[in-house]
Amino acid sequence: MAGLPRTAGAFAVTPHKISVCILLQIYAPSAQMSLPFPFSSVSQHNRLGLYLFSLTKSCDDIFEPKLEELINQLRDVGEEMDAWLTDHLTNRFSSLASPDDLLNFFNDMRGILGSLDSGAVQDDQIILDPNSNLGMFVRRCILAFNLLSFEGVCHLFSSIEDYCKVAHSSSAQFDASNDNLESLTQYDQMDMENYVMGIATEELSVPFHLHTPEALIKVTEGLRVTRKESSRISKKNTEATRVVCASTSTLEDTLVDESLFLRTNFQIQGFLMEQADAIETHGSSSSFSSSLVESFLEQLQNLAPELHRVHFLRYLNKLHSDDYFAALDNLLRYFDYSAGNEGFDLVPPSTGCSMYGRYEIALLCLGMMHFRFGHPNLALEVLTEAVRVSQQLSNDTCLAYTLAAMSTLLSEMGIASTSSVLGSSYSPVTSTASSLSVQQRVYILLKESLRRADSLKLRRLVASNHLAMAKFELMHVQRPLLSFGPKASVRHKTCPVSVCKEIRLGAHLISDFSSESSTMTVDGSLSSAWLKDLQKPWGPPVISQDSSSRKSSTFFQLCDHPVSIPGSVSQLIGASYLLRATSWELYGSAPMARMNTLVYATLFGDSSSSSDGELAYLKLIQHLALYKGYKDAFAALKIAEEKFLTVPKSKILLLKLQLLHERALHCGNVKLAQRMCNELGGLASTAMGVDMELKVEASLREARTLLAAKQYSQAANVAHSLFCTCHKFNLQIEKASVLLLLAEIHKKSGNAVLGLPYALASISFCQSFNLDLLNASATLTLAELWLGLGSNHAKRALDLLHGAFPMILGHGGLELRARAYIFEANCYLSDPSYSVSTDSDTILDSLRQASDELQDLEFHELAAEASYLMAMVYDKLGRVEEREDAAALFKKHIIALENPHDVEQNMP
Amino acid sequence: MVSKESCRNEIRAAIRQLSDRCLYSAAKWAGEQLVGIEQDPSNFTPSNTRFQRGSSSIRRRFSTNESISTPLPSVGFSQAATPLPEEDETIDGDLYLLAKSYFDCREYRRASHVLRDQMSKKSVFLRCYALYLAGEKRKEEEMIELEGPLGKSDAINRELVSLERELSALRRAGTIDSFGLYLYGVVLKEKGNESLARASLVESVNSYPWNWSAWLELQSLCTSIEILNSLNLNNHWMKEFFLGNAYQELRMHTESLAKYDYLQGIFSFSNYIQAQTAKAQYSLREFDQVEIMFEELLRNDPYRVEDMDLYSNVLYAKEACAALSYLAHKVFLTDKYRPESCCIIGNYYSLKGQHEKAVMYFRRALKLNKKYLSAWTLMGHEYVEMKNTPAAIDAYRRAVDINPCDYRAWYGLGQAYEMMGMPFYALHYFRKSIFFLPNDSRLWIAMAKCYQTEQLHMLEEAIKCYKRAVNCTDTEGIALNQLAKLHQKLERNDEAAFYFEKDLERMDAEGLEGPNMFEALVFLATHFKTHKKFEEAEVYCTRLLDYSGPEKEKAKSLLRGIRMAQTGFPSMDLEHFPI
Repeated sequence: MAGLPRTAGAFAVTPHKISVCILLQIYAPSAQMSLPFPFSSVSQHNRLGLYLFSLTKSCDDIFEPKLEELINQLRDVGEEMDAWLTDHLTNRFSSLASPDDLLNFFNDMRGILGSLDSGAVQDDQIILDPNSNLGMFVRRCILAFNLLSFEGVCHLFSSIEDYCKVAHSSSAQFDASNDNLESLTQYDQMDMENYVMGIATEELSVPFHLHTPEALIKVTEGLRVTRKESSRISKKNTEATRVVCASTSTLEDTLVDESLFLRTNFQIQGFLMEQADAIETHGSSSSFSSSLVESFLEQLQNLAPELHRVHFLRYLNKLHSDDYFAALDNLLRYFDYSAGNEGFDLVPPSTGCSMYGRYEIALLCLGMMHFRFGHPNLALEVLTEAVRVSQQLSNDTCLAYTLAAMSTLLSEMGIASTSSVLGSSYSPVTSTASSLSVQQRVYILLKESLRRADSLKLRRLVASNHLAMAKFELMHVQRPLLSFGPKASVRHKTCPVSVCKEIRLGAHLISDFSSESSTMTVDGSLSSAWLKDLQKPWGPPVISQDSSSRKSSTFFQLCDHPVSIPGSVSQLIGASYLLRATSWELYGSAPMARMNTLVYATLFGDSSSSSDGELAYLKLIQHLALYKGYKDAFAALKIAEEKFLTVPKSKILLLKLQLLHERALHCGNVKLAQRMCNELGGLASTAMGVDMELKVEASLREARTLLAAKQYSQAANVAHSLFCTCHKFNLQIEKASVLLLLAEIHKKSGNAVLGLPYALASISFCQSFNLDLLNASATLTLAELWLGLGSNHAKRALDLLHGAFPMILGHGGLELRARAYIFEANCYLSDPSYSVSTDSDTILDSLRQASDELQDLEFHELAAEASYLMAMVYDKLGRVEEREDAAALFKKHIIALENPHDVEQNMP
Repeated sequence: MVSKESCRNEIRAAIRQLSDRCLYSAAKWAGEQLVGIEQDPSNFTPSNTRFQRGSSSIRRRFSTNESISTPLPSVGFSQAATPLPEEDETIDGDLYLLAKSYFDCREYRRASHVLRDQMSKKSVFLRCYALYLAGEKRKEEEMIELEGPLGKSDAINRELVSLERELSALRRAGTIDSFGLYLYGVVLKEKGNESLARASLVESVNSYPWNWSAWLELQSLCTSIEILNSLNLNNHWMKEFFLGNAYQELRMHTESLAKYDYLQGIFSFSNYIQAQTAKAQYSLREFDQVEIMFEELLRNDPYRVEDMDLYSNVLYAKEACAALSYLAHKVFLTDKYRPESCCIIGNYYSLKGQHEKAVMYFRRALKLNKKYLSAWTLMGHEYVEMKNTPAAIDAYRRAVDINPCDYRAWYGLGQAYEMMGMPFYALHYFRKSIFFLPNDSRLWIAMAKCYQTEQLHMLEEAIKCYKRAVNCTDTEGIALNQLAKLHQKLERNDEAAFYFEKDLERMDAEGLEGPNMFEALVFLATHFKTHKKFEEAEVYCTRLLDYSGPEKEKAKSLLRGIRMAQTGFPSMDLEHFPI
């Protein structure tokens, strides 16, 4: 809890502190005996000491327990002497009949402090060391009291009356109809605790409105979210560091008797920090809790109109409950009042620019808000202005963040060309790049941001920029920015090594963090952790002998609080794992992807924001669907639904639609598939350039549905226009899968010659992006196309297939593997040089494998094909019994395929 | 039918009742209106002239003799048959007299204590009212005691709860009079229960319409025209006053003026009405008229401080330094610790370019009244002049948060952000200000300029804004000129010519000359020449010839070109003949 300067004014005497003082008087009475009166054993005495220690620790929190709560806690701590303690406490309070008694009380408190030369202490004396924690607390209380003016003493006195009265009235009856008006301060202290707890617990039980989830293409799903993540983290980062400046700047000019019965600045800032964290992680999962937050913030604003951060909190809250106008209003209000000077980053305000305010930060925030609400053009316009203003005011920190935000925006939003948007406006950074494509511009922005962040030592920004860079490297072929003529020959490939390097650099943050932590620690929020610990049940009082071990454990539990990594850092590290998983998915290593996701879910699941946690679950479920079949996937989905359905913009619904669509296609239920597909498309926003991945996903699935319905030309049309969209918005990886789909369409329509170039193009895309698994499946399609050209190409097809086999068998999903097996059998069968009778085991093995795997997938079409081939082979071999089995299986699958509606009934 | 005499009698009784209940400001207001009624010529005595206005009004008074005899064209308040409530206690109790004198000495708690066991309606009211005021006083003290760096603390009027309890009980029992209802409404309003407060106040003014304080409270609760229209108010001439004021607050200035015009029939000498009319005229930007009205007002009521800040604004706008300093001196001597006085002095210093001092006085005004809207806005202007944009923004924002309809402050915010080179950010604020005052060309022009800045360069949007400005009768003629230039820039010469012609018409009508004129003429001449409309081109060229300077030479060469095109070069003509 090191670090922040505290003025005397930051510590105010409150009734609660007086009760702690009374207890301290009991703990260490000035009349020195070895063991003071009510205590029967040393351990009992120590126990009270520990309790008092934690109470003094929690005094920096915004909430103070009511007298009633304190008495309840005492009951647990005090064991058999609790009645005596409580009586003494209340009696002491009731004996305070006039302000003069207060004065005497604090004079008495002086007596329990030992003298500073601690050498003269006898062994069994109980003396409060003035430099100990408890001693310091007493001294601070005395000092704060001595600084009070007479009015202040009067106010303290009347609030003590309230403190006791509330305890009496609420213990007697829960009526208290008008009480909250008479003691407004008391009100929010009490209610807030429930409310904070409430946020966490209520989250699950409250219904919410589903918002448009974003697309989840199997290949790219992780990228988008991690990108968003990084942008959010950068925001969070600023958010977190603001407090430091804020509290120092406001503390400077505090008066001696500031905010007497309002909490101190320090506590409020810490509390607001916590709230901001809560809003961000929970995303204020339902309108109900967000309105609760709102009403509380309104109260707080009434009490402290000069506390401008409340506006920011309101903005955050509104942002997460998707209220555009209110969010905009509050954001503008916050910056109008605070001029961005209420400490936004670590740049000391003395650099001179503070005189003019730091409105560029307002622009940055506004840009990110537009981004979040899905107004890419507005966001770009605002961010451009932010770049310009931060350059003018030479605010490099803000510039670095803005550039990062801009690159995130450009890479995530579907912006065909920036010239249409930015062409009209002038900006030094962006105009140099006006002739470049969007992706080159993203690259430049990222590089610039990284350079600045590096030189400014903004660790978190560096880390998130590294992650963004990794994503960029993953998705884009490295091209020289200015290439002249044919000499500029580069490998047109992505570079997995550099991706790996960037990810690792991003994750280095955690080791760097220790150096930054000293400035990061926020007392206010930590002290509330102390209090929460107190709220944990102390357990039933046990006999003193064996309770000693328990106590020591509690002690350590209390002590190890301050060492915790801030949420933003662990989120960033978590994001790096998610990104790792995604990159492995792209490169086609299922086990690695799964492992990284599992690491994320186990290590960062609770500290992360719920949308990230959700993403990890989604990845795992998709993995299940691909490798274990639908039954397991749907079972897992049910669990995830319970856990995440309250998250705003939940992607669970999307995943469910995807799974249902996939399954409907496999079962041959085209109608259902079409419906799912339409629903999926309906989730996307209608605005241009927003929800790109979802839109691509939807039309990809539409083409597949049409293909399954054997409407080849329409399917080809859809796929073609999809390809154009992907090209327009630079979605390279999606292009590869669209090309593959086109090849499939031509293959299915029996037009193998037309399909070949598509398959080859897809393969070359896969090669340049290192998409090994997709490459393997494209190779399979290519081989199928060759075979489609005639049986004389069987040899070539078989060679191709065998080349792709290791990848397919090692990392491919059930469907891909089955397809490969069946195709292998087909190749052998159509090869004129191959005879069934001599080498039947090769074929039969493959077919058996295929039908096993298809069983889990409920893919009737392929399964029927496999059993048909098997029956044919058995027939040739003359194994009648097995032939009949295979034929029966064939019949079963064919019937299932023709009556898809039976299957629909048992779908979830 | 309301005769002046009945009005007079009503008000006379009301003043007695109001001041008996220590509702002094309402009594003061009523007194002003009483004197504002035209004197009865029958009991006219020379001594009364002192209260009447200067020569002009006296002339009017005698010239409009017939208006006394003929009943007023009463539309609204003829039905008002609210009977004057007779006093429930003709002779005040001794205790009441004591309490009232305590009250007059501002010893509120003492006053309420004296009346603790009195049950008459009047005593109950005075007790509650004294208690309320005691609570208010304590609240203000506490606010200062508890004020932290984060602003006000949780100081509240601690009497509100018990007052509400007692008054609601009285109301349920039906033993509450209209004054009690007024107090009940005030208490409810403080507690944030607006709809109930409105109901209570409506009940109060319906049963006793002469309590202007109640009307004022009611007006502050009418934040929109819908609310205002939904009130169920009895017809009475006091209602007209209320409506006039409410319309003004809702920025319906012409409606409000109509009301005041009407009221002037009876209260022809009311300073209040004159000041209100001046306010409305000020909002309509009729500065000359407003100045005359205020001058007259000051002649009749030289120690008036209310509304004088508005007068100072007018003087500021007309840059009348001497008059402004005279006014400042006068109010300073009258009462220097009035927010209005501080505001006037601030205005004076601002006009003199001493912005630091101006800020100091605006600050003082705000210290005296934290919710003084125009002081916040004016202080914002000063900070803008001092190039302290953050402070300016802060000041403007406070004004906006006090009254979100204050278009000046929104406009100021926009300007401040534009000054800092954030035009895109500023647009939001301009949009807000235009939302509240869509008919002001200045706002549209400001927004257009914002779009025109080199950072944004969104010329299409700028053109749209200028078009709106033209539709709002742009008095300064910036919009037409800019429209023409923008179209010229975008090479839409036809549109440009159209607007240049319009601009020329305007300048001709106003008899203006200047570079804009030359520019328009040159453009039009060349434009028509290139379009082969030689006659029009010649007209503009000859107009240019009237002026000396480079334009004249330009015109000459143009004319020469026209002649050439008309007569010579058959090859050019041949092109137009289809062969």
